Amino acid sequence: MSFFSVEQITAGYHGKTVINNISFQVESKRIVGILGCNGSGKTTLLKAICNLIPHEGNCYLDNKNLNRLHAKELAQVCSYIPQRSGIDIDISLMDVVCMGFNSRLGLLQQPTKEMRMQALQALEKVGLGEKADENYRNLSEGQKQLCIVARTMVSHSKLLILDEPESALDIHHRHKIMALFRNMVKEENACAIVTLHDPNLALQVCDKLILLKDGSISRMIEPKTDSLKEMESALSALYGTVSLVSCKDQFGKNHLVVLNQVEDHLCNR
Amino acid sequence: MKHSTDLLTKHKSEYFTCIITGVILLALVICSLFIGKYPLTLQGILQDEGMQRNVFWTLRFSRTIMAVWGGLCLGITGFTYQTIFRNPLSSPDIIGVSSGASAGAAAGILFLGSSLAVTLSAFFGAFCAVAVALMLASLDRTGKNSSIVLSGIAVHALAQTVLMSLKLVADPEKELASIEYWMMGGLNNISLYNMKIPAVLCIISMCVLFLLHRQIILLSADSAEAKMLGVDVRKMQLLILLVSTLAVACTISLTGLISFIGLLAPHIARLITKNNQKTTMVLSGLMGAVILSFADILARSVASTELPISIFTSLIGAPFLICLVIKRSHVR
Repeated sequence: MSFFSVEQITAGYHGKTVINNISFQVESKRIVGILGCNGSGKTTLLKAICNLIPHEGNCYLDNKNLNRLHAKELAQVCSYIPQRSGIDIDISLMDVVCMGFNSRLGLLQQPTKEMRMQALQALEKVGLGEKADENYRNLSEGQKQLCIVARTMVSHSKLLILDEPESALDIHHRHKIMALFRNMVKEENACAIVTLHDPNLALQVCDKLILLKDGSISRMIEPKTDSLKEMESALSALYGTVSLVSCKDQFGKNHLVVLNQVEDHLCNR
Repeated sequence: MKHSTDLLTKHKSEYFTCIITGVILLALVICSLFIGKYPLTLQGILQDEGMQRNVFWTLRFSRTIMAVWGGLCLGITGFTYQTIFRNPLSSPDIIGVSSGASAGAAAGILFLGSSLAVTLSAFFGAFCAVAVALMLASLDRTGKNSSIVLSGIAVHALAQTVLMSLKLVADPEKELASIEYWMMGGLNNISLYNMKIPAVLCIISMCVLFLLHRQIILLSADSAEAKMLGVDVRKMQLLILLVSTLAVACTISLTGLISFIGLLAPHIARLITKNNQKTTMVLSGLMGAVILSFADILARSVASTELPISIFTSLIGAPFLICLVIKRSHVR
């Protein structure tokens, strides 16, 4: 059995089905990307996996059914990073990161000195060590997201659910945050499911891509093994006609780049 | 190393602010004990002069204690409501506590009469209003904050209807005036006898809120995020709201409605500490106690007759609220 499996998930809102009969498996140390146009059901799928909305079907992590876990048990094995954190009070970065220890603390317990040290180390890893005592609200969106990543790091979860974590970030932070996730997944022997809008980034960082169309899986692709033609046709089925090319950067590393037909047309003018 | 030094300096300044506020409160307490229509002297009280001792213990001491405890309670619960509802304008009234207490007090004044019965009736009204609001909110399974706020608005409207109906049938000379006066708030009917049980309940509630501070902060994230951090959002919200309501109901059932303190005190505390840590929670309570003690001193000393306390809390609170709105619009 796979490390993490999603079995026949169906979910929606107000009686309307948004995702229908979704099943897939993920091995440990792997990142699975979910691509799809707006309204295709990406966020709904993540919320159903996290048991945040009513749904049919089950998710198993290491043979544990996530639907049967209480909030605290779920938080011990699964971390969720939303597009933007809902924290909107004056609070230090250190306290935000220490929230990640909640699942390991009793109701009235406070984070220990050791936990605070771990939190500081996590902040240093994401480059915010110097700002540990600063107000979270005064950070840029990118820095806020990095702080939330640090919070996820201290929770040592086996399953990372990431809902467009890079949507508010510039190109530098986008790649930095995805590299951090890659390291976390390797170090913790975990797996990650990430929804993304940018197919180029997805092809670069994900081991497997699930293409979601109208609430169902249209195709799955594995960038490292599938042929360019196969991937191009799968992506074209999702976004309209696109071209997929392989190119080398200045350091000689290979990259897959998706060229949109509209962009080509604009370039020709 | 730099981090721990900065943190230490920051914590030291927060504790220092709490101590300064505590000293101001102590000064106000001493003033409150000796300011009033009947002049008291320390010598007179210590020398066992019957009248002075009597006035001190039955009037001044109890109302001073009430002002400190009431302010602490409104400040701490105001901090709690504003944090868990993620709304800087939240106060205990958001889920109908005050309107429920008013309707309960009006019913007590009309049908029961004695001041103890009015206190109990106001407490019962406040608790019923919150129980109905939380019950209505629990019908919405999404667990969103907005469902509690909407239920609170509905209960507030319902309680106002009950209050208006009771006012209509009240005798305009006596009962209607008593209802209006109760709603303006005041500490003139406080005695050590009727504040014992509410004081114990209120102190226990405030200790529980203090211990649950970390959970209150976790609830300031949105409900999905809080759940994924391991918080049983609905149960924790219910627990914190019930404990806060108990504290507020214990206070306003004795004092009548006291406006703005629950809103004002946490904002002043946050302006000073610029965070939401435990020290800010304590400072919110201390600020509430300072404002209520000061307002009470003014209420019984600026005119020949005692004035309702809410006049002074509103006089301080309204300009502050306007400043807050202007400041927020500048930030945007």
